[in-house]
Amino acid sequence: MNDTVLEVSKVSKSFPGVKALDTVDIVIKRNEVVGLIGENGAGKSTLLKVLTGIYQQDEGTVFLNGSKENFRNPRDAFDRGLAMVFQEQSVIPTLSVAENIFLGRENEFVKFGLLNKRAMNAAARLELAKVHLTIDPSVKCSSLGFAERQMVEIAKALSLDGRIDGEIVILLDEPTSVLERREVELLFQIIKELKQRAAIIFISHRLDEVLDISDRIYVLRDGAVVHSTDADDATIEELHEYMVGRQLDHEYYRENRQRDDEKQPLLRVENLSLEGEYRKLSFELGAGEILGVAGVVGSGREALARCLAGLAKPDAGSITINGQPQTINSPRRAVKSGFGFVPSERKTEGIVPGLGVSENMTLASGNRFTRYGLIRFAQEKREANRWIEQLNIRTPSTSTAMQSLSGGNQQKVVLAKWQLVGSQILILDHPTRGIDVGAKEDVYELIRDMADQGIAILLLGDTLEEVIGLSNRILVLRDGQVSASFDAPAGGKPQQVDLIASMV
Amino acid sequence: MIGISRTKFRDFIPVLALLLLVAGIAVLEPGFLRPANLLGVTADTMTLFLMASGATLVIMLGSIDLSIQAVASMASCIVAVLLPDWGPLALLVALLAGAISGLFCGLVVNYLRIPSFVATLAVGGVVTSIAYWVSDTRSVYIAEEDKAAWLDWATGTSFGIDNEVLTGLVVLAGLTVLLSFSRFGRLVRAIGSQERAVIATGINVDLVKLLAFIVAGFMAGLAGVVMAARLGSGSPTLANEFLLPAIACIIVGGTAITGGVGSIWKTFVGALIVAVMRIGMTFVGVTVFAQQIVFGLVLVIAVAITMDRTKVSVVK
Repeated sequence: MNDTVLEVSKVSKSFPGVKALDTVDIVIKRNEVVGLIGENGAGKSTLLKVLTGIYQQDEGTVFLNGSKENFRNPRDAFDRGLAMVFQEQSVIPTLSVAENIFLGRENEFVKFGLLNKRAMNAAARLELAKVHLTIDPSVKCSSLGFAERQMVEIAKALSLDGRIDGEIVILLDEPTSVLERREVELLFQIIKELKQRAAIIFISHRLDEVLDISDRIYVLRDGAVVHSTDADDATIEELHEYMVGRQLDHEYYRENRQRDDEKQPLLRVENLSLEGEYRKLSFELGAGEILGVAGVVGSGREALARCLAGLAKPDAGSITINGQPQTINSPRRAVKSGFGFVPSERKTEGIVPGLGVSENMTLASGNRFTRYGLIRFAQEKREANRWIEQLNIRTPSTSTAMQSLSGGNQQKVVLAKWQLVGSQILILDHPTRGIDVGAKEDVYELIRDMADQGIAILLLGDTLEEVIGLSNRILVLRDGQVSASFDAPAGGKPQQVDLIASMV
Repeated sequence: MIGISRTKFRDFIPVLALLLLVAGIAVLEPGFLRPANLLGVTADTMTLFLMASGATLVIMLGSIDLSIQAVASMASCIVAVLLPDWGPLALLVALLAGAISGLFCGLVVNYLRIPSFVATLAVGGVVTSIAYWVSDTRSVYIAEEDKAAWLDWATGTSFGIDNEVLTGLVVLAGLTVLLSFSRFGRLVRAIGSQERAVIATGINVDLVKLLAFIVAGFMAGLAGVVMAARLGSGSPTLANEFLLPAIACIIVGGTAITGGVGSIWKTFVGALIVAVMRIGMTFVGVTVFAQQIVFGLVLVIAVAITMDRTKVSVVK
């Protein structure tokens, strides 16, 4: 008997300038948990989007329960037995638990044109029992916690059991990233039980978790499967090596350019607090210093970055620059005080997609490129060309719309924007997110350049490795407080495991 | 299309449409092409263009201004009522009243964080009431001597060209400079394209929006003054039925309702398209009442063509 539930065969998918998936082959068998790992940008999310019909593959085939499938959208995939539990949850908060579970399938409970809520709630209760959730199915989802909502999503996926022909496949996309440790354990216990009912794909960047829960593991890198193994035969080190494609490389992060001399104090943050995010954070940042901030989602580091950028207001504490106290209550004030923010959401907060390259570069520069209120186009273009050359930005012209540039080149324009203003302190929030490997190295080089010029840098890295590789010093946040601080001089970098120990 | 990119080509579709419409009417009625007639048509179109010109900035922000017809009507009432006693000061008051209406729209949007569509609808209601109060709910006639003394700049002719056309061209030139050559204009486009990025860059987005609404109110006020001059009266319902054509000519010209893309010359072309369409419809016997159906349809089609769908995943 054929045990294969889901087969991905030679699937490729390209976007302008990047091959996101390159002839990917993956097989998931009945009663199996398959781990899927890869760095950001390795192609994990593209694969998921192809599987759930958000994208259509350019080449290759997807077989589910032996039949060739071409899902048109996530709903279509769901109805055929492939359910995805999204990272950003897709339960509708204003509907009840039962209504969410049977959304779009209410007909099953319709009698004489009316919905039999009691029958629907009873059926929902059955599904909830499979995930050990004893909540009332008639309550609104908005009253549930994050972990409970996640369980509701899984229950929704399980409700396909017996309602479709063939086996169910459940895709769990980074399901543990926002969970407490206790909740993770519960989730893992449930996944182990669910193996009897469904095939499961578990996506995570936490290698220890993937090793713990999976039967088999696929490693994706640059859009291709570079390794597949039984979990019993794998080690974290080996998986990590496959994932990043090289052994830990000092040159990659330009460690030779790191300067660990005494820094002139520049920024001083004291007892900064934001209700529900972080409490009493204090640290200093010197001119030319790169301070890494590590922590899991919810540790408060994102909120800290947004507060310094003026996009959120701290409740208490003080920020001083060069001994001068600063009130940062808006991005305008932040920019005036000398901060520059490179946001993780590049497409919505970093760039103005409809404006040209030079227009984006000079956006923060106020009236520097105007005379009598009119823009001095020639001068602006000259300056833009200088930066395009200096930062090796690939663009047909200075007036090309930002949206048609690749992610890496967009990011360089954002960095040029702040250098044009002369920002003293740069907050880099995941500066290499979603940009390709070559551009990443350019950005690292650029970060070193800026540090050499005396710009202070607060770095929220995309990976721990990046934080360790680039920083002079590292702050680790846990539950909104500094849990540890590491010196990270060139040649004396701390280990990932040490950081992780204070992160969780 | 050698040397012309596809987006550039798309920019000129409205121009081609205008030429086709003109050619179509010319086939039916060759006299239409006489310079005097074309000039007359353009002059008739200018009040619509004036009304739409300022609102173009607001639409480029990604917002909308539904108060312009109320503002134009109010301005017409103010001019008609004050002109006998105040003379040229009446014009100033009317324009100022328009700008202040725009200011209020902007303040409501900025400080109460209300979508512009609701904010401007509400301010428009208030403005209409003020117009009724100013005019004592009646049409107010402008005496010939007042008109000759103070409104000739709007309705007379200079160098053989109708003054409406000259006013329109001055506004076209002025707003083009503002939109294409000033930092303000660039920020308007930037906000329409991606407001969050502009905020994160530390720019005073509220101020830019406020100014755009003020310009829109001012231009609506100017449109009302010119309308009053042409008709020789002011009335609280003078510019009714102008909102739909005004929005239509902005969009038909190629400015995207989703913001970020647009220009004043596009609105100028759009206004001419709307005017020529109207003439064409009258010519083939479509009644005035049924013409709104056509404007509605054209508006929907133009929005569908110009809107940036990457920006709108859910339509509400």
